[in-house]
Amino acid sequence: MRRMWAICSKELQSYFLSPTSYFAIAVYVLLSSIMFYVSFVVYQPSILDYRLILGDTLFMLLVVIPLLTMRLMSEELRQGTDELLLTSPVTATEIVIGKYLASLGLLVVLVLCNLIYPLVMSFFGPMNLPLLWLSVLGVFLMGAAMMAVGLFASSLSQHQMVSAVIGFVLLLVLWLMDSFLANSPSSSLQQWLTPFSLSGRITNLIKGVLHGPDILYYITLAALFLILSIQVVERKRWR
Amino acid sequence: MLQVQQVSKYFDQRRSVDGIDFEMQRGEIVGFLGPNGAGKTTTMRMITGYLKPTSGQIWIDGLPMHEPSRKARTKIGYLPETPPLYPDMTVNSYLRFVADLRDVPARQQKLRISEMIDRLGLQGRERQIIRSLSKGYKQRLGLAQAIIHQPDLLILDEPTSGLDPNQILEIRQLIRELGEQHTVLLSTHILPEVSTLCNRVLIINDGRIVMDGNANQLDQSLNEKFQVLLEVKTRPDKLRRLLDNWQNVSTEYLSSTEEEQQVQSIQLRLQGADDTDFRERLSLLLADARVPILELRKERLSLEDVFVKLTTDNDPSESINSTDAGPTVISSGAESVKEDQADVETVPLEPAKTDRSKTTDGEIPATTHNKEDDAK
Repeated sequence: MRRMWAICSKELQSYFLSPTSYFAIAVYVLLSSIMFYVSFVVYQPSILDYRLILGDTLFMLLVVIPLLTMRLMSEELRQGTDELLLTSPVTATEIVIGKYLASLGLLVVLVLCNLIYPLVMSFFGPMNLPLLWLSVLGVFLMGAAMMAVGLFASSLSQHQMVSAVIGFVLLLVLWLMDSFLANSPSSSLQQWLTPFSLSGRITNLIKGVLHGPDILYYITLAALFLILSIQVVERKRWR
Repeated sequence: MLQVQQVSKYFDQRRSVDGIDFEMQRGEIVGFLGPNGAGKTTTMRMITGYLKPTSGQIWIDGLPMHEPSRKARTKIGYLPETPPLYPDMTVNSYLRFVADLRDVPARQQKLRISEMIDRLGLQGRERQIIRSLSKGYKQRLGLAQAIIHQPDLLILDEPTSGLDPNQILEIRQLIRELGEQHTVLLSTHILPEVSTLCNRVLIINDGRIVMDGNANQLDQSLNEKFQVLLEVKTRPDKLRRLLDNWQNVSTEYLSSTEEEQQVQSIQLRLQGADDTDFRERLSLLLADARVPILELRKERLSLEDVFVKLTTDNDPSESINSTDAGPTVISSGAESVKEDQADVETVPLEPAKTDRSKTTDGEIPATTHNKEDDAK
């Protein structure tokens, strides 16, 4: 347990020391605040609803999350510090979970940054708070699943940029799963794939409905990619 | 302490380590020698559990390292070729991180870290970012990382590579001190390091162990014939008359003897038929003939020669001259280079030696080929 926390806190430290994470968060905040400006200040909607803005900003996670996770394993492989980790009594599971927890810590920061918009809105009238927290939880769950995908991508290559691209492509495929075959004649296949799509799951989220199967989907997705990452790390020994 | 039994490692189809077999007792400092690409690092990585052997077994203090075993890994300390450091961390936080990873009890951590800092001369640098440390300090920190949990077995992969001479001496002193409490396996291709540090030497070549023994015994076992190097000041024709057919001792002229009638200093190597010492008789012979001796030296096989003999596939008696000239990892002395030049010069003069020189020449491509293999 202590070993896992050691890895987690080391990763958190380097998140807050590395320019990449500041840059990624800054870009996210910048773009989402532009969208907030456009949809709240320019259009001036008649109702105060955070969900309207949330839906617009979510797709940016596709880019931001691979940028935040690309370092996690790639850096160890490139620096040769994986030799330290794999020859110490740490297990592959502890390494992967420790790093994943650190990325969740960063996700919390990201989600907290998002809270500034409902805060601004609340000055203009009462907000539906349960609905707000529900959508925040939804965003966190989706982000957590995406972080696991990014972590897996990072364990595949020792080059950060390659990891980021792999992570982006994986997330994009998951995101667009249902629209791939939108025009194809085999609609049964499309129906079959739709439940696995990230973006498909968001529609419920944006409506403010936290659906049991959605929660299960996010958790399963995260667990699947964490297990895959553990396997990849363990595999390093079999080279 | 450490048992390595019939361990092999294949990368795809390429064989890197081939059925290595050795044991280490507690308290030994063992030098692990070999040319580049011989399989030293791979072997060490298998011992530390970073790589799994394709076949064979590795036991550390009775615990299997060839299976996933957390317990066996607590017993080793490992300094890879490049120290595994995180450039963004400070020295202190790095050591704390490693102490956590290596299961150092929380209560002892502070003490252990300050002990490491004292011992490795890192005082005043605790708060420095690792990126800004010099290479020597990085190496020391790498060593601190390997010993912070007081492991039974310490594996050091080229601990002195890339350091300046002063730092090398410091690190060697440190390793010697560590050897008093830990069992140490260190790889190197710097041979004097082995003779000063280790009480046992393992030489590996092409994935196989070609020599296992005491550093001092090594040269004795290979040095079957008594050899001396001689420098005298006389006329070549006179010297030839004296030494040709003298007591089964063969001569090899190392300097030019073209001007037969002129008094000059002549260097030559004399080799007896067996290991009996003929220096006394030789000096008396030369004194009787009033030939002044400028230098008379018994030639010992250095660890370098042993290394070259064992790691090239050629017949040992021929390999010295053909390999010493190459830019091998071994720091060959100025002498041996001189010998080689001299060898080439003597070719036309010495009919008896021509055969030998030809063989030597003929073997150079083979040796070069060998080195290319090693480099791969």
